[in-house]
Amino acid sequence: MEQVGLAATSEVTLWSLFMQAGFVVKLVMLGLIGASIWTWAIVADKWVSFAKFRRQLDQFEQVFWSGQSLEELYRTLSDRKSSGMSAIFVSAMREWKKSFERGAKSPIGLQMRIDKAMDVTLAREADALEARLGSLATIGSAAPFIGLFGTVVGIMTSFQAIAGSKSTNLAVVAPGIAEALLATAIGLLAAIPAVIAYNKFSADAGKLSARMEGFTDEFSGILSRQIDERLSARPAAE
Amino acid sequence: MKGSLATSTVLHVLVLGFALSSFSAPRTLEVADVEALPVSIVPIEEITQMQQGDKTAPLAEIAAPIPTARPDPVADAENAGDNTVDLKSSKSAKPSPQEVVSEAPPKPAEKPVPVPEPAPKAPEPPQAAEAEPAPAPEKPAEPAPAPEEVAALPPESAPDPVAEAITEAEPAKPDFAALPSVGPVPQARPEPPKETAKAPAKPTAATETAKAPAKPAAAAETASTKDSDFNADEVAALLNKQDAKGGGAKRSTETASLGASRTTRGNTLSQSEMDALRGQIQRNWNIIPGMADGGDVRVTVTMKLDPSGNIVGQPDVVATGGSEGVRRTLSGSARRAVLKSQPYQLPQEKYDSWAEVVVNFDPSQMF
Repeated sequence: MEQVGLAATSEVTLWSLFMQAGFVVKLVMLGLIGASIWTWAIVADKWVSFAKFRRQLDQFEQVFWSGQSLEELYRTLSDRKSSGMSAIFVSAMREWKKSFERGAKSPIGLQMRIDKAMDVTLAREADALEARLGSLATIGSAAPFIGLFGTVVGIMTSFQAIAGSKSTNLAVVAPGIAEALLATAIGLLAAIPAVIAYNKFSADAGKLSARMEGFTDEFSGILSRQIDERLSARPAAE
Repeated sequence: MKGSLATSTVLHVLVLGFALSSFSAPRTLEVADVEALPVSIVPIEEITQMQQGDKTAPLAEIAAPIPTARPDPVADAENAGDNTVDLKSSKSAKPSPQEVVSEAPPKPAEKPVPVPEPAPKAPEPPQAAEAEPAPAPEKPAEPAPAPEEVAALPPESAPDPVAEAITEAEPAKPDFAALPSVGPVPQARPEPPKETAKAPAKPTAATETAKAPAKPAAAAETASTKDSDFNADEVAALLNKQDAKGGGAKRSTETASLGASRTTRGNTLSQSEMDALRGQIQRNWNIIPGMADGGDVRVTVTMKLDPSGNIVGQPDVVATGGSEGVRRTLSGSARRAVLKSQPYQLPQEKYDSWAEVVVNFDPSQMF
């Protein structure tokens, strides 16, 4: 911090401000820039994945309600890696198949198992949707404070340097404070997009989860009807 | 996720690079130089506490007025100068009838004594002493010839001891009579009887007799007689309408230094002087101990003092707080204390500061 006095004559560009900063302030600034990079990475990732997810849901719903046979649909979907509603459909169908192949006796037990399987899959899918939104929230709330910490430390050290230089000239005081305030600026720069993105993506994730839950309930109803039909048909046949 | 992380990093690098390259140092703020207004605090002591000196002389350690040529000192002189008499400024030069009268009387007191001895032909003066009102009418008749003699004799030498006695007695009167003519005459009368208690007849008789005839002789006589020496100066001082600054009789041998025409001590009583005043009053302040709620009372006495330290008029006593009875008691005791303490022993030269004194009595410490 000895160069604070000299800073009065030197340039006050962003780079010089950063280079003049103390160790702690530099660390804070670098950390905040890292947080900003991470935030935008999450934003980009979520943006792409949510768009893809929504497209898949639309496609699946279109196919599902087109009147295509469930067996056929299961056969086409079980091969490839699926996500969202198709994953729920596949897990339910898999459970259905297993139960009927072994000749399940209780319709209630079968219904329960299928529901459980769908719930687990739904929970997994919802988790995948909300993954990393927590870190967005953390950055959004903590980054301003981290930046403030950097500012306080920077101003503290710059005042110590001023006390050392025994001059209260504004030209001596100003660069240190400007450099310290840079930390808060970077903190806000990281926090504001993070907060906005968190609000948007958590709302989107909520909507998508609700859509999947709706499908789960509907599919559960369809399967329950099927089970009743099959079980009532079987004793009649026997 | 990896792809988006890479995208974000690249984006940040781009943005930061752009910011670092384009956001150079902001334009320097131009600040006009403002000249500071110098403020100095001037102590008022420079005016209230001055030493006698010369206004144009440089500052020196020892305060002294312009050196005077004559070295012989004159006692009690105030204004620096080469005069034999300390001439006061125009304020004192104004003729005051009282002053003149007070100085004139001593002469008649001395002169009349020889008069009765050399004058055998005046048997009536002793009688006059016995009964003043009676001789008065007689005198005018007798003196009548005297004026004629005086009027005739003065040009020549005095052959008649009686005439001489009269003329000698007269000189005091003439200027006595002449000066009052400027101011009010009646004031001159009461003085002589007081001073010359042993032989009041002579002066009174002489005055009455002299009044008419003395006037013509006065001019000639004053010049020749020795008392006139004093009077001439007095008259000169009275006639001097100029400011007597620098024309006084105070001697100075030091080099002139910066100062005022006279020494001003300022208007502040020193702490010890105030303590003395306080002690003087406190000795005479008796209050009845154990008076209930007497501690709440504050008494303020305002009094005007004359230069000799006596109270002029009645002191103004104001008491606050406490009950009515206690207030009355304490204000009475404060008034008694202040009245009993006169005359106040305070420095004469600081009279300005203690011409009016406000004394605060706080009985709370007394109970």
